[in-house]
Amino acid sequence: MTELISSGLIRGLGIGSTYALLAVGFVIIYRATGVINFAQPALMILGAYFTSVFATSVGVPFPLAVLAAMAVLAVIGLATERVALRPMVGKQPFAAAMVTVGVFIVLFVVAHRLIGAQVRTVGDPWGLERASLFGVSVAQVDLAKIVISLFAIAIVGLFLTRSRLGLAMRATSMDQEVALAQGVNVGRIFGLAWAISAALAALAGMLIGTAAGGFEAVVALVALKALPVIIVGGLDSIKGAVYAGLFIGVAEALTRTYQPQYAAWLGANFDVVVPYVIMIIVLVFRPYGLFGTREVERV
Amino acid sequence: MTSSKARGMVAAFGVVALVAAGCAVDDDDGEPDDPGTVEEDPDDPDDPPEDEPDGLAFDLGVTEEACPAGVNPDNGCIYLGVLSDLSEGPFAALAIPITAGQEAFWQRVNEDGGIGGFDVDISTYTRDTLYDPQEHSARYREIEPNVLALAQTLGTEPTEAILSDMDSDNVIGAPATWWSGWHFEDADQGLILESGYSYCIESQIGLDWVSGNVAPPSSVLAVGYPGDYGGDSAAGVEAWAEANDAEFVGWVETAPDAVVGSQDAAIGQVVGSGADVVMLAVGPAEAAAIVGGSMANGFEGQFLGSVPTWNPALLGSPAADALKAAYLHIAPWEGWEADTPGHEAMRETVGDNLPDNEGFIFGWVWSYPIKAALEAAVANEDLTRAGLRSVVDGLQVDYEGMLPDATFGGDRDESAIRTAVINRPDDDAALGVTPVEAGVTGETADAFEYTAPCA
Repeated sequence: MTELISSGLIRGLGIGSTYALLAVGFVIIYRATGVINFAQPALMILGAYFTSVFATSVGVPFPLAVLAAMAVLAVIGLATERVALRPMVGKQPFAAAMVTVGVFIVLFVVAHRLIGAQVRTVGDPWGLERASLFGVSVAQVDLAKIVISLFAIAIVGLFLTRSRLGLAMRATSMDQEVALAQGVNVGRIFGLAWAISAALAALAGMLIGTAAGGFEAVVALVALKALPVIIVGGLDSIKGAVYAGLFIGVAEALTRTYQPQYAAWLGANFDVVVPYVIMIIVLVFRPYGLFGTREVERV
Repeated sequence: MTSSKARGMVAAFGVVALVAAGCAVDDDDGEPDDPGTVEEDPDDPDDPPEDEPDGLAFDLGVTEEACPAGVNPDNGCIYLGVLSDLSEGPFAALAIPITAGQEAFWQRVNEDGGIGGFDVDISTYTRDTLYDPQEHSARYREIEPNVLALAQTLGTEPTEAILSDMDSDNVIGAPATWWSGWHFEDADQGLILESGYSYCIESQIGLDWVSGNVAPPSSVLAVGYPGDYGGDSAAGVEAWAEANDAEFVGWVETAPDAVVGSQDAAIGQVVGSGADVVMLAVGPAEAAAIVGGSMANGFEGQFLGSVPTWNPALLGSPAADALKAAYLHIAPWEGWEADTPGHEAMRETVGDNLPDNEGFIFGWVWSYPIKAALEAAVANEDLTRAGLRSVVDGLQVDYEGMLPDATFGGDRDESAIRTAVINRPDDDAALGVTPVEAGVTGETADAFEYTAPCA
């Protein structure tokens, strides 16, 4: 039971909440612009890098370092939208998505150059410390991942539902032309969506960077696990991104804990495949995702 | 974009990523990309090798013109290729300093006058192959017409991917890998000039040392990447267990964090194994995660780490205390501060600017056999590829004290190097590790019948 709670549920919810954070970033941009942002992994690793720089090189207190990194990434997100994506307004979304692939490659190379030959650490206060949760020893970092991710997502949710800008973002996601006609500055909304998404990616990067051995630039590819999450949850559903992220994280952790013991015949590291198996199953039965908007086509 | 199209795009991106990982574009048009290079077919009797006035024969990869950034303007130029992992691959953190170490080595050779009236250039034909065998092969074909040999070919599987081409082209090379196969002509066609032990011997020496200096292990576990790195190391662990009546608990296959997300699965199996000693053959961040995570979950055994498991930055990671408490690093030669002529010369090249990690030392040491081969070929007045290849069998290499002198060819069971250095993490050491004992040999490793690759 202890193993189930510590290595399965809590560990899974920890990594799952990080997936959810990344997936929410994907969804926000998709809802605002109709574009899948494939640059999210590179934004994530840059977030980890800037947190590391502020916390360990500059010496800023860790919480401030995280906020500063989120701010830097928000600016990078804004600039990326203005320089690379804004000229694509009115073009096919497929073309805009391909631009994000190009942005990913550029930012990924930049991240490699910045991180270089070093293994970096984000200077987090949790390290390998453990805490007791209902009598079960769990890693503090897992609890931190859950709390921080869900708190950040809740803030974004409140912003979207309670603020004028959030309302404008929702209006833009429903119908850009109508929003424009109502006086919404759609271009500004696009930029805001990119800024929020990049800031969330930075936060996710910090959480991924808390690994005991630190992080290297190639860890950016972990963010691709958010792709099955958004498919499972539904491309346009923040709620879906959260539930699917947590579900996939727990499924992965349980597989990791018990598969080597009870189904070794599946081979080493089968947990890596689990998110994609879940994605395929969901695609078969609910092609628009568990919480996505069902597509209605006139025939 | 409709959501169905977007979903299709997400799926397509996944496919593209897979294809991109598995494929590489070969943009080799068959033309040499250095107009100054002498292009000849060594097999063509109508196209004999050029001769310098003093009678030295040379052809591909050697020019009478000076190197682009040569030290001696009156010298000709020997071009050596470098196929490494210089940007996005899993070993880039190690490969960049390895390449820097080799550049420093050859710069020193050039400053000492070069070899036989030639400077050596390894920069012009340096290519990033991303630790991808297909990319490695494509880039090899791109540079092959212009190089005499390879100063570096990084990675066991990438190097295996070009071996048959190297064989037909008569191109020898220095590996940036310690696979046991490089010790055997059946596996490397006598083309790969390795330095130091193999992963297989490394794990046996490490276990012998723990047995004699800590406590004889009754159970041992191997954790490593699939393929010839982790596999070779695990084969050594298994052989040691068999020779010492210890239990070989198994080989836990893991992968870089970028692939598996975290080392949780490996940690779970390490903790569940209850092994006395765990041999790691993974990357540095992964090694630290496994050591730190396992100890945080109550594991009390000893960890041994293969050469590539160390990076000085790990001393700033959350796993630093665990590493200091339970991890020992095995290396084929001494670290930065060792007192040998080779180490001293190496330190002089960088002054006060320490390299990022020990990769710099690796690159430096791996260059000695190619230098010895070039000198032997010049002595034979045959600096053609065939001439260079012909000197490998019986080649004697002086490592300036960084390694025992070595001889290539012959019975490798007798001539293979079976010494190591045991290091421990140390905040005060130049590159984060300090030797516990140098020149370590082990009974099991010495007695190991080394007649074929371990994996």
